[in-house]
Amino acid sequence: MKIVLIFDQGLAGAGGKTNPNVGLTAVKGGIGSALMLESHFAKIGATVAATLYCGNEYFLNNQEEVIKKMTAMAKKVNPDFVVCGPCFNFPDYAKMAAMISASISENTDLKSCAMMSVENADTIENYKDKTPIVKMPKKGGTGLNDSFSDLCDLITGMVENSSDLESIKNRVCY
Amino acid sequence: MMQKLEKLLMPVANILSKNKVLSAIRDGFLITVPITIVGSIFLLISNFPIEGFLNFMTSIFGEGWDAYMGRVTAIAFDCVALLGVLSIGYCYAREKGLENRIGGGVVALVCFLIITPQKTIVELEGAAEAGSVSGFTFTFLGTAGMFLAMITAIISVEIYAWAIKKKLIIKLPEGVPPAVMESLAALIPSAIAMVIFFAIGIIFDHTSYKYVHYFIYQVLQAPLVGLGKLAGFEVIYQFLSTLFWFFGINGPAVTNTIFAPIHKVLTVENYEAAQAGLEMTNIFTAGFSDFFCNFGGGGSTLGLVIMMAFLGKSNRMKTLGKLSLPAGIFGINEPIIFGLPMVLNPLMAIPFILVPVINTIIAYLATVVGIMPITLGVQLPWTTPIIASGFLVTGSVMGSLVQIVQLVVDILVYYPFFKLLDKKYLDEESALEGQTDEIDDLSFDDLGLD
Repeated sequence: MKIVLIFDQGLAGAGGKTNPNVGLTAVKGGIGSALMLESHFAKIGATVAATLYCGNEYFLNNQEEVIKKMTAMAKKVNPDFVVCGPCFNFPDYAKMAAMISASISENTDLKSCAMMSVENADTIENYKDKTPIVKMPKKGGTGLNDSFSDLCDLITGMVENSSDLESIKNRVCY
Repeated sequence: MMQKLEKLLMPVANILSKNKVLSAIRDGFLITVPITIVGSIFLLISNFPIEGFLNFMTSIFGEGWDAYMGRVTAIAFDCVALLGVLSIGYCYAREKGLENRIGGGVVALVCFLIITPQKTIVELEGAAEAGSVSGFTFTFLGTAGMFLAMITAIISVEIYAWAIKKKLIIKLPEGVPPAVMESLAALIPSAIAMVIFFAIGIIFDHTSYKYVHYFIYQVLQAPLVGLGKLAGFEVIYQFLSTLFWFFGINGPAVTNTIFAPIHKVLTVENYEAAQAGLEMTNIFTAGFSDFFCNFGGGGSTLGLVIMMAFLGKSNRMKTLGKLSLPAGIFGINEPIIFGLPMVLNPLMAIPFILVPVINTIIAYLATVVGIMPITLGVQLPWTTPIIASGFLVTGSVMGSLVQIVQLVVDILVYYPFFKLLDKKYLDEESALEGQTDEIDDLSFDDLGLD
C-alpha cells in the first residue's frame, strides 16, 4: 500500500518556526516525522511513497495555490491513501491539512484524512463533515502511539472499504 | 518492550499532568518565574563575578547602590511564598472552572496572610527584654513558607469554589452592573474561607508549633526538600523527563508537577544562605538543572545538532542541522524533536535518554570535587546559551569550562547513533537517486493544473 504524507516544514524536518516560508516541496519517500509513523505503517503493509510539504506562512499567504497544487501532486503520485498530518495543536498546519484533505476527497478519487488535536476546534468543526479527521494528542500530550494505531485502523478500513468503516470512524475521528 | 513501557508510563503521565492540584502548583510557580528572573538579574548586577566591576559601579553611583538593587531581589526571592500563593490560587481557580479566577487568587493570598505571624520579636538595643513590632517578616514569606503557600492556595480556593458551586452567594436583581455583581457574589465564599483559616491560625496558636508555618515546614517541607538533597534526585528527574519525551509526552510538564517546587526551594535556599553570609549547600538548583543537565533542549541535543550541521553527510541531516542550530544554541530543539525525529525513534532512544543523565553526573561530580562552585540562587532565562549561562549561574569561568567538557562528552555519546542514522538517511537518498519509477522527479514547478 502506498501512502503520501502532507507535512508542514516542522514535521518535514525543514526547520521549525525559523523557516516558515519554505515553498511547496515534494520528496520521494518519507522524511522527518515519517520515521515516527513508519513502524505503524509497516504493520498494515504500507510504505511512504512521497512527502509533500510547505511552510506554514507560505500556506497562509498562498492558500489557493497550495491546496490546488498539493491536490494535483497527490493525484499525480496516485497513492492508496493520503495522510494530511499529524498536525498536533499547530493551528496553521491543521488548517492546511484539513483544507487539502477536503480538496483531495472532493476533487479526486483518492482516499485521504487529516489528523490533529482537539485544540484546533474551529478547523475540526468546519471540516469534519468534509473529510475524516483522526483524533490525536497535542504536542507533548499522552497517547501519540495509540493515535497512530487509530490512523492505521482508519487507513485499512477506508482502503479496503471495510464493513466496520463507520464504527472505526466513530471511534477514531471527530 | 517499548510498548510495555509506554503502557506503564501513560497512566502516570495522565495522572500527573491532568491532576488539577499538581497542575495548579506547577503553573502557579511558572507565573512567578519571570519575577525570579528579573530579581536574579538585579542580584547578578549587585554581585557581578568580575573583579573591579563592583568598584566601578560604586565610583559611578556611590556607596550603597547595591542596597537599592536589593529591593527588587528581596521581592523576587524573599516573598516567593507570597507570590506563589497568589498565582497558585489563581491557577487552581482556573482548574476548578471558576470565572472569577483572580478572586480565587486573592482569597488564597488573604488566607495565607491570616495564618502568617503579624508580629515580629526584635532585640532592642539597650532594652532588658525583647520587644515586638507589627508587620510581616520575610522569614515567613520566603522559602520557609512555600509548601504552606501551596497547601493554603489549594484548600482556600477549594472552599471558595465549593461555596460558589453550592450557590452560597448573594443574589442581586437584574440590572446591577456585572462588576458589582461579581464582587458581591464572592463575598460569602471568601468569608467562609477566611473564617476557616482564622480558626486554623487560632488552633495552631495553642499548640507547641505556635504557627502553621513551623508545623508544615517540619512535617512536610523539610523532608520533601531533603529528598532534593540526595545524590540521585536530579538523575531521576532528568531520566524521567526525557523518557516521557521519547514517547512524545512533554516530560518536564509531567515531572515538574512533583520536582518544580523542590527545585524552587533549593534555589531560593541558596540565595538566602548567600544573603546571610552562610555557605550555599544545595547542588540541584533550577540553574543546575537548566544549564548543566539539559542544555540545548530535551535530550540535551546541542551536541547532536552541531554534528548534524557540520558532519552530516545526508542532505536531511545537513539541512535540518543547519536550520536547527541557531535555535539549539538558545535551548530550543523542537525542529529536531519532531523533524529528525527524536520522538518514537528507537535508534536515538539510548543517547536521547542517557545524555542528560551523563551531564547531571558530570556536573554533580565537578561540584562535589570542587572543580566548579555550587550554583548560585539565581534563575536565568532557560534560553541563555551555554558558556554564558555556566559563568553567570556559578559566578566562575569553571562553570563555562564544565559546560564545554559536557558538550564534548555529549558529542561523543551521540556520535555513533548519529552516524547510524546519517548512514540510514544517506542510503535512502542514494537508493532513491538510483531508482526510476513513476514518481521520480517530483516537482511542483512542472506540475500541470488541469
